[in-house]
Amino acid sequence: MSANPSVEETVKKIVTRIVRKPESEFQRSATFQDFKADSLDVVQILVAVEDTFGIEIQDEDLKSVSNMESFIACIERKISEKK
Amino acid sequence: MSLKGKVALITGGSRGIGRAITLRLASEGADVIINYFRKRDTAEATAEAARNKGVTAHIIKANLAEAEKIDRMFAEITEKFGRLDILVNNAASGVARSAMELDTDGWDWTLDINARAPLLCAQRAVPLMKNGGAIINISSLGSRLVMPSYTAVGISKAALEALTRYLAIELAPRGIRVNAVSAAAVETEALKLYIADPHLPRPLVTHTPAGRMVQPEDVANAVAFLCSDAADMIRGQIIIVDGGLSLTSLGYSAPDSSEGGKSAVP
Repeated sequence: MSANPSVEETVKKIVTRIVRKPESEFQRSATFQDFKADSLDVVQILVAVEDTFGIEIQDEDLKSVSNMESFIACIERKISEKK
Repeated sequence: MSLKGKVALITGGSRGIGRAITLRLASEGADVIINYFRKRDTAEATAEAARNKGVTAHIIKANLAEAEKIDRMFAEITEKFGRLDILVNNAASGVARSAMELDTDGWDWTLDINARAPLLCAQRAVPLMKNGGAIINISSLGSRLVMPSYTAVGISKAALEALTRYLAIELAPRGIRVNAVSAAAVETEALKLYIADPHLPRPLVTHTPAGRMVQPEDVANAVAFLCSDAADMIRGQIIIVDGGLSLTSLGYSAPDSSEGGKSAVP
């Protein structure tokens, strides 16, 4: 299933800003480890995503997250639950 | 030591030491405002446990690394309660890095939450403490002792302890007591982040004269006392809750519990 382009673009900007990588390096198949994100980076990404989309992501939600594609899917799910 | 009728904000008050403080203050009759960072379910559960003690409990999500979020939190407190009697600056975070590995992001994150946020919270709490009050900062032995990978947190706690002294003097004329509670390693989930070796707590136990690790309730007991009028002449002090650990020299071993040396868990 294709991701919502606006959600994906926003996530791309947030993730690459925090891990200090060019947006061109963002791949849906990439993991947080691929970006060399440490635990602080991940927390800051989650905080930024929650603030931007007005959602709350719990640890339970992250169990299904293995890469950027599933992270975006998780965010879209939380956005749709909010509506 | 009744705190009935008081309103208390506990930052990071939903789990670990913060939860114990929240429930202890609730047990003394204080209405509690629980600030949490990300885990709403945990905050709700702690609030429910507080309500079961017959007090009002309210949760507020706020990332204390951001001044704007602190402003919003206090706007909500002002709207819902209109006052504050107790502020417990308990929320803490930090990166586990040696000094040579510590980058500016990790430094800023740790210092913003552990040292700047308590100042910002105090600045916003004081106008709500119209009849005086108490501010308690939660520190740790890492402010004075060197622990592996604890650089940023240790430095932030040293700053917090200095802030405690400055606030205590500045706010004394307003009838606001400011003190800190400094604990040794407390047996919580957060401790596991700093201790990779699952067997490491044993030396902490054997080197503690009281014969056991510090529990969250031990810290909460000290906080409750400092919130009470019984602590009126204690100002700007760092109360150490460590079972005597910081007084011992290298090689010290606690007496065998069979000799009656072990103290009871609260």
